[in-house]
Amino acid sequence: MRSRPTRVATLSLLTAFTLLLTPAAAGARSLLLSGSTSMYPLVTQIAALYHKETHQPTPRVGQGTSGAGIDEVAAGRVDIADVSRDPIIGQDPKGLVFTKIARDALCVITNSSNHLTNLSQQSVEQIFTGQIRSWSEVPGATVSGPIDLYDRVSSSGTQDAFEDIFLGETLKIAPSASQLETEGGMRQAIIGDKNGIGFASFDFIGGTNAVGYQGIPCTLPNAKSGQYEGVRNFWMVTKGDPKGAAAKFIDWIINRHNTAVEKIVATEWIPVY
Amino acid sequence: MDTGLLKKAPPTRRRGSSDRRTELLLGALAVGVLALIGLLLVTVLVKAWPSFSHNGYIKWFFPGGDVDTQLSAIENARPGSGNALYHLRAWPLLWATFLTTGLAVLFGLVLSTLSAIFIVEFAPRAMQRVLDPVVRLLAGVPSVIYGLIGVLALAPWIEEHLISEQRKESVTYVVQLTGTNLGLAVLILTVMITPIMVAISTSALASVPSAWTEGSAALGVNRWRTIWRVSLRTARPAIIAGAVLATGRALGEAIMLSLVAGGRSFAPNLLDGLTVLFEPARPAAATLLTYIDGISDPYLAHALYAIGAVLLVSCGLLSLAAWAAKQPLKRYGIRT
Repeated sequence: MRSRPTRVATLSLLTAFTLLLTPAAAGARSLLLSGSTSMYPLVTQIAALYHKETHQPTPRVGQGTSGAGIDEVAAGRVDIADVSRDPIIGQDPKGLVFTKIARDALCVITNSSNHLTNLSQQSVEQIFTGQIRSWSEVPGATVSGPIDLYDRVSSSGTQDAFEDIFLGETLKIAPSASQLETEGGMRQAIIGDKNGIGFASFDFIGGTNAVGYQGIPCTLPNAKSGQYEGVRNFWMVTKGDPKGAAAKFIDWIINRHNTAVEKIVATEWIPVY
Repeated sequence: MDTGLLKKAPPTRRRGSSDRRTELLLGALAVGVLALIGLLLVTVLVKAWPSFSHNGYIKWFFPGGDVDTQLSAIENARPGSGNALYHLRAWPLLWATFLTTGLAVLFGLVLSTLSAIFIVEFAPRAMQRVLDPVVRLLAGVPSVIYGLIGVLALAPWIEEHLISEQRKESVTYVVQLTGTNLGLAVLILTVMITPIMVAISTSALASVPSAWTEGSAALGVNRWRTIWRVSLRTARPAIIAGAVLATGRALGEAIMLSLVAGGRSFAPNLLDGLTVLFEPARPAAATLLTYIDGISDPYLAHALYAIGAVLLVSCGLLSLAAWAAKQPLKRYGIRT
């Protein structure tokens, strides 16, 4: 006959296991997403709408960086990664499938006390590579003193996209720049620093001064019309072709006839379908 | 012990054997925990080893170049690109860790000792009753809250009012000064760890046998001297142990420091005078957090594990130091 403590121990162990296994055993599991902080506002809105229209469980959206999202989807910890940069051949794990869901304007931003309206290609390169370090050398700047350069961390998709689009293939942002982990952190840093300059997704420029690029102001209409060139892609990345619930979700987003999604995208971003 | 019990009380034999089983079960759990810690240490060291060995062991700890550039190069390097896969000179991280932790613990030690003396020796009863739980509450505030206050309120203020343009220009070709910097990091870290030290020092001072202080007073020694010569001297090992524990928390602090210490691995230069307070300094733990998103890159992982290994070993040594510092207390028969 079993003694009592053992039975108690066995029982509690069993209970613990049952509790642990219950969510996994339940049939309809929410989709898990992770990755870019730039895409987070868009994807959460889309996820809420998805639940409302299809009565599927609301996909759960986590935040990290594009690089973190890629890692997690490749390791199978999430179903879909939000990635705000284009695929990098040779660096991304093999077998990932990128599906474009929207396009997004990237703005150079400064503190709102700096009414800089435009930067030429040359000025952007000189400022962000650290060749120019004083606002007095930047035509149009309304602050004086040294330039405080802000950058995102190296796993950020926004940083990668910014370097690709604004600096070309060879130039890199000066290592002297302060690195921030999230879009929100970047915005907060620029709001708090009158000498600051950085870059952010169009949805995150509130409270800062958005600077035009190559003579075109960074606005949504200019980005939609294609005049503004600082535009990057938002991707949903899966391990292999999207399957099951993930495929359902992605197909629903990119469905040409899905005007509700397009309406959300068009508020702050650029629809692709 | 077990057998003695069985001989004396035969009716409880069955109970005794199940006690024994529980004992074994708990013992196995304890051993399991130890094994887990051992496994953790071994895993970290094994994963860290390539980073140390490819950098010539001791050179890993030396200054040389920009850590952020090196870590990004490691992350972006393709296999076969030789030295770039491992090249790391971690001095700026270690120096920043040393500076933030050292300064914060130093300030904290002075502040906490003085507050503990006040709470135990001078504060009225009612005040004591309020201060004690408040200190404990402060000791438990999650660090990210301090980080948020720093980055949302203090950093813009420092940027606006404390860093002059001349100061910025004086070092503009070396480093960029912003509101998040070494000074802010030390300030917030001090606020964060002082309550822990106050809590420990208070209980140590309170447990000094009153006969000793009364004896001192009876000999005509004044109050301050009694505190200085008798109470503090008796409680010294506990105060040091508290400082060591606080050092442990400061060493491992990542989120708060990655928010307020300036997003850049720079080794603050003490020769810059006061400007050093406004220079960025990202300690080792905060750097781990910043680069953790790239951990799936095996070469970056080696570098990060190496930084982690240094932290782990330092924390282990600190625990030993804390244990050693507490030993003299036992001589006086005081437990804290």
